[in-house]
Amino acid sequence: MLGGRMASPDLFLELRNISKRFPGVVANDKISLAVPTGEIHALVGENGAGKSTLMKILYGLYQPDEGEIMVRGAPVRIAGPRRALELGIGMVHQHFMLIPVFTVAENVILGSEPGRRARLDTARAIEQIELVTRQYEFDLNPRELVANLSVGEQQRVEIIKVLYRGAELLILDEPTAVLVPQEVEELFANLRRLRDQGKTIIFISHILDEVLAIADRVTVLRRGRVVGTVPSVETTKGQLAEMMVGRPVLLQVTRPEITPGEVRLAVEELVVRGAHGRPVVRDITLSVRRGEIYGIAGVQGNGQTELVEAIVGLRPIASGTVRVDGNDVTRVGTRRVRLAGLAHIPEDRHHRGLALPMQVRENLVLGHHRRGLFTNGPLLDLAEIEAFARERIRDYDIRSPATTTPALALSGGNQQKVIVAREFAFAPGVLLAAHPTRGLDVGATEFVWRQLMGAMAQGMAVLLVSADLDEILSLSDRIGVMYRGELVAELFPGEATPQELGLYMTGTKRAPTEQAAG
Amino acid sequence: MSSSTRFFFLQAGALGLAILFGALAGSVILLAINENPLEIYPLIVRFNLARIDSVAAIFYRATPLILAGLATALAFRANLFNIGVEGQAYVGAVAAAFVGFAVGGLPRLVHLPLTILAGMLAGMLWALLPIVLKLRRGAHEVITTIMMNAIAGALVLYLLEPGLLRDPAQAGTPRVRTPDILPSALMPLLHPALSAIGLEIPGSSRLNWFLPLGMALCVFFFWVLRRWRFGFEVRAVAHNPSAAEAAGISTQRVQFLIFLLSGGVAGMVGLSDTLAFFGYFDIDFPKGYGFLGISIALLAKNNPLGVVAAALFIAFLDRGAQGVQVFAGAPREVITILQGLIILAIVVGYELLTRYIRVQLKREAQIAPPLAPALAATGEGGE
Repeated sequence: MLGGRMASPDLFLELRNISKRFPGVVANDKISLAVPTGEIHALVGENGAGKSTLMKILYGLYQPDEGEIMVRGAPVRIAGPRRALELGIGMVHQHFMLIPVFTVAENVILGSEPGRRARLDTARAIEQIELVTRQYEFDLNPRELVANLSVGEQQRVEIIKVLYRGAELLILDEPTAVLVPQEVEELFANLRRLRDQGKTIIFISHILDEVLAIADRVTVLRRGRVVGTVPSVETTKGQLAEMMVGRPVLLQVTRPEITPGEVRLAVEELVVRGAHGRPVVRDITLSVRRGEIYGIAGVQGNGQTELVEAIVGLRPIASGTVRVDGNDVTRVGTRRVRLAGLAHIPEDRHHRGLALPMQVRENLVLGHHRRGLFTNGPLLDLAEIEAFARERIRDYDIRSPATTTPALALSGGNQQKVIVAREFAFAPGVLLAAHPTRGLDVGATEFVWRQLMGAMAQGMAVLLVSADLDEILSLSDRIGVMYRGELVAELFPGEATPQELGLYMTGTKRAPTEQAAG
Repeated sequence: MSSSTRFFFLQAGALGLAILFGALAGSVILLAINENPLEIYPLIVRFNLARIDSVAAIFYRATPLILAGLATALAFRANLFNIGVEGQAYVGAVAAAFVGFAVGGLPRLVHLPLTILAGMLAGMLWALLPIVLKLRRGAHEVITTIMMNAIAGALVLYLLEPGLLRDPAQAGTPRVRTPDILPSALMPLLHPALSAIGLEIPGSSRLNWFLPLGMALCVFFFWVLRRWRFGFEVRAVAHNPSAAEAAGISTQRVQFLIFLLSGGVAGMVGLSDTLAFFGYFDIDFPKGYGFLGISIALLAKNNPLGVVAAALFIAFLDRGAQGVQVFAGAPREVITILQGLIILAIVVGYELLTRYIRVQLKREAQIAPPLAPALAATGEGGE
């Protein structure tokens, strides 16, 4: 049955060599994709792999720089969401856009109300919606208030909204992120029914179990390119994980020979709770020594972000301790953690890293601005700041017309260099580097890698979190694998193959770790 | 940098264009009510600037507006909307009046500063609840400050009840006001200082030292925001609170402090009228300064120096409205409409210009060579 659908020459959507560039970043690089009518096609990839850019192109929010979009065999230009809908492309957003005090029916018809002039024909609306829910066997009462619905039911309303407007291709952007497991099952059942009645579905996710459960075929994106498209019956989680995060080794770094010294960062039985009190970091114990890079591998969303933010003091710690050079810095606040000698390259440079409208030199001293060197009573010492900025810009080869240029004017790679230059200043003892090369081109990546090596050689202890397995394998002295908030394995790069790491990352395999031993 | 000079002139040009646009749009309205804009506009300029007492009236009018604009702009600079300047001004004025009449036997050098301080503290107190509610409970400050305005209005009326702050000497008269503020708490007028530099303004003007004080505060806060460590933290919090937090800056602390400063400045808004014009606080205390402060902060793009210019501009138009009414027989609302049009034009113009400048800066940065290419290879990151 699967083979029959796939052999169909009837492609609903075809993308040919779609490219989209932003300054310093290639978001989509010659992406080609063919989705036959009646297929559930999963699109997987880490953050920054180019999934959302591609979907925005499909939905008409971005225009591709190059390439062609074909819908039902005809080349099209998608000028905006309205045009996308005319072509039968509908988006089910990750964040629901519903009005709680309206009924299901009112929400569905919002924006395309039936009825003549100002008069709203509610009865007809309800009739039409019941037709849709009956056709696809959706369990939903159009008269119910949205406020009374569960999250899963609200999502159903979103899907019906799109169907009501005549969509033939549904794009679901991480639809399971907000659902409990049982709701996921219902969603999948609904999606299968839609498919069996001829709808085409693009399913975006990074949760591999779900992808394998629902998709007919899976396309993996990495760094803006298509790594490959595979039928889901012919692949495994391990293979997908490797495709997502592996990378043909373009870069080789020479690792200086260093014997790791004393422990500089010690994390003990750390527990961090998420939005609903559910632990997202579970009893993590790890230590990083002088002259050591400890790599944390894992599929995005398994607690890495929370682990790093808790150590830096940006997220409350439920229990456990964090020590920097022997000093307890648990719950002392970010400022004191930094004073203790901890530097932090945040995973999202625009969110945590930079104040974009501020000058490059101001961004370079952000966090250092309380140091005596830069202050003069209550005043900032601009001359010192300028001198410091010039030195950093020179040493880190930051391409900026002036020290006073706003950071937003720089390319992505140079923005990242500003953060690296800032965090490496004043010889921190411990560095937390979260995805330090995400979105960077090869040259900038190599530069950051060499900086990490240099810092390690000077005695820094580095905790490196990366979605890029190759980065982890090339740089780390030890590797810890996180899965569902736990450290499920701790190994040396020599004894770990990407395939094996993939098994740990997907929870298929576990190995003893420091915490289990201690 | 040549480009930054260029952007400065662009901004000045945009301001001029926006005023011109507002004036043109205003002309359409004037023509619609059968008035000749070519007569009205020159009339405004002549009426406003031909006589020294008129100029003094503009500066007197601008005095509370400068403080109200500064108070609003300060809060805006930390992404906070202090809509409560109005209420903070009421309680500030009442508190100052109280200290002014009730605390006796002090020399002016002590009594006047104490009176002003009372106004500031009352303003801060009125700002304290909204900011604590925001930082602790997440209550939006727009809502809470509006509520506090309503409370302030009612509280002031209550305080003027007999037996509280109402002047017993006025019993039996329709005057609802506090007793007279003691001379030692009144703000001296600017006349002596101005005549020392050869400017004689008529005695009817109540131009006083709150004008230079307000201007000095603007200059001071301009300096603080630009050069102080605290100002740097305020800007970082405004531009990206998440990054500021990651840098170890407590956004809560910064927002708390700036909001109290805003409240403190707001507490002084009504003092020029109270301590230099009326000499008491009464039920007809001038209202609406707080709301004009929002327009002024908007016009000034929250720049404290711009606040002085914007306040003078609004005061100029206000004064012109009187001239129009008296000499042209046209409704003064025409000027109010003109004010609105100009503010709209300026805000839109600024936004367009900001986007243009941003694009230009990006373009420049993309083609920029490194600052010191020859030295780049010798750094620690080099080969």
